[in-house]
Order: sequence, then structure tokens, then C-alpha cells
Amino acid sequence: MMGNKMSDQQIKSINPGQIKEMLHKKKGIMKRLLSHCVHCSICAESCFLYIAHDQDPQYMPSYKVIHSLGKLYKKKGKVNREALEKMKGIVWRNCVLCGRCYCPIGVHVPTMIAFARSICRSQGVFPEMDGPTGESWL
Amino acid sequence: MYDLVRGPFVWVAFAIFIFGLIFQAFRFYALTKRKDQVFLNLTPSPQKVPPKGFIEGVANGLISLKRTVWGTHPRIMVVTAIFHFCLIVTPFFVLGHNILLDESWGFGLISLSEKTTDILTLIVFICTAFFLYRRIFLARVRAITSGYDYLILLITATPFLTGYFAYHQWFEYPTVINLHILAGEIMLATIPFTKLGHMLFFFFYRFLIGNEYSFSQGTRTW
Repeated sequence: MMGNKMSDQQIKSINPGQIKEMLHKKKGIMKRLLSHCVHCSICAESCFLYIAHDQDPQYMPSYKVIHSLGKLYKKKGKVNREALEKMKGIVWRNCVLCGRCYCPIGVHVPTMIAFARSICRSQGVFPEMDGPTGESWL
Repeated sequence: MYDLVRGPFVWVAFAIFIFGLIFQAFRFYALTKRKDQVFLNLTPSPQKVPPKGFIEGVANGLISLKRTVWGTHPRIMVVTAIFHFCLIVTPFFVLGHNILLDESWGFGLISLSEKTTDILTLIVFICTAFFLYRRIFLARVRAITSGYDYLILLITATPFLTGYFAYHQWFEYPTVINLHILAGEIMLATIPFTKLGHMLFFFFYRFLIGNEYSFSQGTRTW
């Protein structure tokens, strides 16, 4: 059963058209949120994972958004599995969607991360913590 | 060139700026019609004791400020507040702009002394240098910086740089003044559709945030 779930993820090919459609549906909201992030890095300390990982910039809320949803919009959905797998780590392991991140402008980061997760999930890319490979996120 | 940048270009820039902001305001309103569910606070919060006198009031204010982003990032917050203040005040109250306004429409705003606006411009340069330093030398800022961020910084600083050169008559004045007007127009026209849109959205986002610094109840949502 678990094995099947894993193989489903591996065999499902990426559908850039579907990603593009999803991106387009929420373009009005997401592109505005993305474009109003001024890349100031003030949000960094509001993320407990950033603090816990020795202030590694990869855990800054803005970094996570730019390198997930930002990348998807930049590439207009034309991404391969490898890129989505990399994104999976960013939007699931590096962010727990606790909603504690603070942006002085008011950009709502969890909205964007949650949307990036939906896109990954639509392509069969998601963490399988109960899978046979035992993906560990810690 | 001068007639072009002082004539039609000004109108085009202002039209894009004003109609662009109006468009963004309508889009924001249309996109955020949904309301968040408000969870009522069932336990009444304790009554606030009013401060005894001015000093205690100020002290309380400073303590509560310490818990906000002003407490966690005091340096960048002070610099950014000064930067934005100078950025907005200087073009409105600089003598040269008000003379032009008076020549064209017969009215002008109050003008600050030339020395004051000169200092305000220098402050803008110092703040810009600070932001540039952060972008180049701080790993955390560099990690999220692209060429676009430098371009935005350039678009913001160029009107001040060329204005400073024009006032001090450095380089060839006619070229510098044309560049100054053009730079100002580019900045105005780019505000509604770039990162500079935070000028408007900084306030709009207050309607979406249900905690500190919110407008209304902050229950509007995307």
C-alpha cells in the first residue's frame, strides 16, 4: 500500500499546463503578495526554524517564498520534477505553516507557502512521512 | 528634449501613477471581499491601568515598542523611517518644484530652505548607501537579492542624485536637469506596478492583519 503511494509519486509526470492554470487562477493575489516583498529580511527572526538553524538564510520566510512560489511564477509553471522535489523540502521541511512570520509591509507568507504546497501536491510531490523510505524532516 | 520631459512625459507619468494606484485600489477591494472568521475572546482582558503622569506614559510606550519590530530591528527601522520621511517630504517642499508649480498653475506649497532640502537629500543618500551595504554584505539580505532589487534602489535614488547635481550645477546642467525630470517620471510611473507599490499596499495590508497596526478589525481576506 505504502509502496504503491511512493511509486505513484515517481511515475506521475509533471504537467506544466496544470501548474500554469493553477498559478493563473490566483495570479491577482499571489503576484501582488510576491511583488510587495521588498526583500528586507526583517521577517527572518520571526521564524523559529531560522533561529533553530543557526540563522541560516534558507529558513527566512522571504527566502522560502521566493524560492518556491516566486520561482514557479518566474518560470510560468515550466518546472521539472527535480525542481518540485527541491521545492518540497522548502515548503514542507523548512516551513511548518505556523503562521508566526512577521512582515513589516504586511505580506502574508503562509498564504503563499500553502499555495506552493497545493501546486506540488497536484503534481504528486509531497512528503511521505509514513512511506517506506521514511523521509525524515528533522 | 526639455520640452518633452517637462511636457507630455510629465502627464504620462502622473496618469500612470494616479490611475495605476486607483486600479490597484479597486483590484485590492475586489480581491479581498471575503471576511475572516473572528474568534471571540471569551475571557475579558484585564482593565488597563492608565499611566501616572507623562514620564510613566512615555516609559510604557517605549516598553511596548520594544516588543515590536522596532525592538528586534531598531537600526533598520530607524533608518527606514528616516529614509521614507525624507523621500516623501523633500520633493513636495523643495523650492525648485514649488517655483515650477507656481509658474504653471499659479500656486505652490510651502518651501523649505534650500539648505534644509540639501540636507534631506544627503540623508536619502546615506540611507540608500545603508540599504546598498545590506544588500551586498549581509548574507541574509544577499540570499534574497536579485538584479531587480538594485534596479528599484536605483530608480528611487536617481531623482535625488540628479536633483542634487542640478542644484549644485555639477556636470552639464541642461543634461542633468533633463535626467532629473526623467528619473522622477520613471519613479512615479513604476510605483503602482513594482515593489514600490508597497507605498500603497503597506496601508492596504492593514485591513488584512488582525493584530497590531491593523485598520478596522483586520478581517478582510484574499
